[in-house]
Amino acid sequence: MLETIAFYSMAAVAVAGALLVVTLRNTVHSALALGLSLAGVAGVFACLSADFLFAAQLLIYVGGIAILIVFVVMLLGRTTDLHNRQVNELWGAALLVCAITGAGLWRLTSFFGAGTGDTPHAAQTRAIGLLMLGEYAVPFELISLVLLAALLGAVFFSRKEI
Amino acid sequence: MSAAEKPAYPQPVLNRKAGGRLLTDTRYWPTELWKSPWSLPRYRAGALWLAGIIIGLLAIGAGVGELARWGEKLLALLNRSGLPPAAVAWAWVLIKLGCVIGVIVANGLWAVWWERKISAHIQSRVGPMYAGGFHGWAQTLLDTVKLLLKEDVTPAAADQVMHTLAPVVAIAPCVMAFAPVLFGTELAAAKLDVGVLYIFAFAGISVIGVVMAGWASGNKYSLLGGLRAAAQIVSYELPRGFSVVPVLMFAGSLDLAVIDAAQAGYWFGFLPRWFVFYPVVGQLAFLFFLIASVAETNRTPFDIPEAESELVAGFHTEFSGMKWSLFFLMEYGYVLLSSFLLAVFFLGGGAAPLPWLVGIPSWIWMTGKAMLMMFVFLWFRWTFPRLRVDQLMDFNWKFLLPWSFANIAFAGILLFLMQRGWGLR
Repeated sequence: MLETIAFYSMAAVAVAGALLVVTLRNTVHSALALGLSLAGVAGVFACLSADFLFAAQLLIYVGGIAILIVFVVMLLGRTTDLHNRQVNELWGAALLVCAITGAGLWRLTSFFGAGTGDTPHAAQTRAIGLLMLGEYAVPFELISLVLLAALLGAVFFSRKEI
Repeated sequence: MSAAEKPAYPQPVLNRKAGGRLLTDTRYWPTELWKSPWSLPRYRAGALWLAGIIIGLLAIGAGVGELARWGEKLLALLNRSGLPPAAVAWAWVLIKLGCVIGVIVANGLWAVWWERKISAHIQSRVGPMYAGGFHGWAQTLLDTVKLLLKEDVTPAAADQVMHTLAPVVAIAPCVMAFAPVLFGTELAAAKLDVGVLYIFAFAGISVIGVVMAGWASGNKYSLLGGLRAAAQIVSYELPRGFSVVPVLMFAGSLDLAVIDAAQAGYWFGFLPRWFVFYPVVGQLAFLFFLIASVAETNRTPFDIPEAESELVAGFHTEFSGMKWSLFFLMEYGYVLLSSFLLAVFFLGGGAAPLPWLVGIPSWIWMTGKAMLMMFVFLWFRWTFPRLRVDQLMDFNWKFLLPWSFANIAFAGILLFLMQRGWGLR
């Protein structure tokens, strides 16, 4: 019961944060709402007993990416960013896309998931670590290679010509 | 001191009486006490005071430690009281939360006083002397009352809602990060399998509050302070996290209780198996973690976000009263958190430093080590000059981060050797 309440309130935080991101006029407020939404997703992970994902989500998305986005918005922001609307009049098309995506996700989740709050709480960090460096070592290393390439690319494109 | 030695300068006028006499009649300006600090009577009195303070602190600590033992009984009592299990769970969480918040707030009072005393002694002053009687112990209590009574100013150019929300966003993750912190062996509010990651995750969120404060103040200095804070904290989080990886490799877990337990025992019967004593790797990791922690708490030599000679007071320039003090509560909360983490990760946590001291309870060792580390934090702040912004970033990205990566490799080599039986194990 308590788990269900926690799960749905966290899901509500995530959704409300996401809605605020697109509806607020002030880009700084939007960036902070994005952080709230990501924290809500972390809360959903916690309610589903995914400890490691919860901590990693907070550490990387809320503590890293959201802050970087806020940083960029503050550094590059113009005065018009503070009161311009960020949405146009195409509500119908947006609703259609959302409905189709939602229906697809619903089909997917109803195929895999049986419900919420029925995952027993157990320590899985060790198992995740063993899998990442054992069975899934190659994909893991490939992802790190992609990230390294992105990193080098960012340095390459942002450097000043000497 | 006889009347003949009385100094020529005017005595301070204290608005207070003691036994019918004005205190100014019997007391000297406190710096007089330091005229000859090494005179034997003075020395004896100081030693006695010190012994008294230590015994008093131990007595208070013993009370707290014994109270902690009653926790299980309290939980059993709650379970037998006929309340629904959900209510018991909530009540239990609230009790533990109250204890942790109590620690953080009391630490704020204690650390500010201690910092003022340490800074004063480093600069050949005496610091707070009058409030409360003994060495100005009540100074921070009275300061808190003052802060509560102060006007809460919100600038006209500020974003009202975010200006109010910023201190809350800064302090809330600090409180939450204390959940898995060990105050002694097995003495923590929550036992988490991902404890270390959890602490780092929440400690990283506070900077959003700092950035919000900087932006919402509607002040260029504040904004610069907030931006600097964001850049600095996001950068120093990396070496801070990576410097702990060797510890995690040695202990084989992210759980603080397991890390604590992995350091029990002694080499050759006297050298404790603390991670700081692991050759080269331990000392490097300790140093990196200490430096990165000082940077994370925005303290000198890394106080770029609030550099008062450049930015007035950085991100909290436009804050006053209790909102302002919440930022300082956060800073001292993170100093305490880092001290406890240093104690758990590197200094053996609740383990005794010598085999014949095992009888002393673990929370005394834990708190003692944390306080020692806290002293190092305060000491750093008053002895080092501030780094420039570019020096700060260079130091992090070109020295700290590569060497903390290298340290992980060293830790791998050491683990390999130890498993082959070539090492100390």
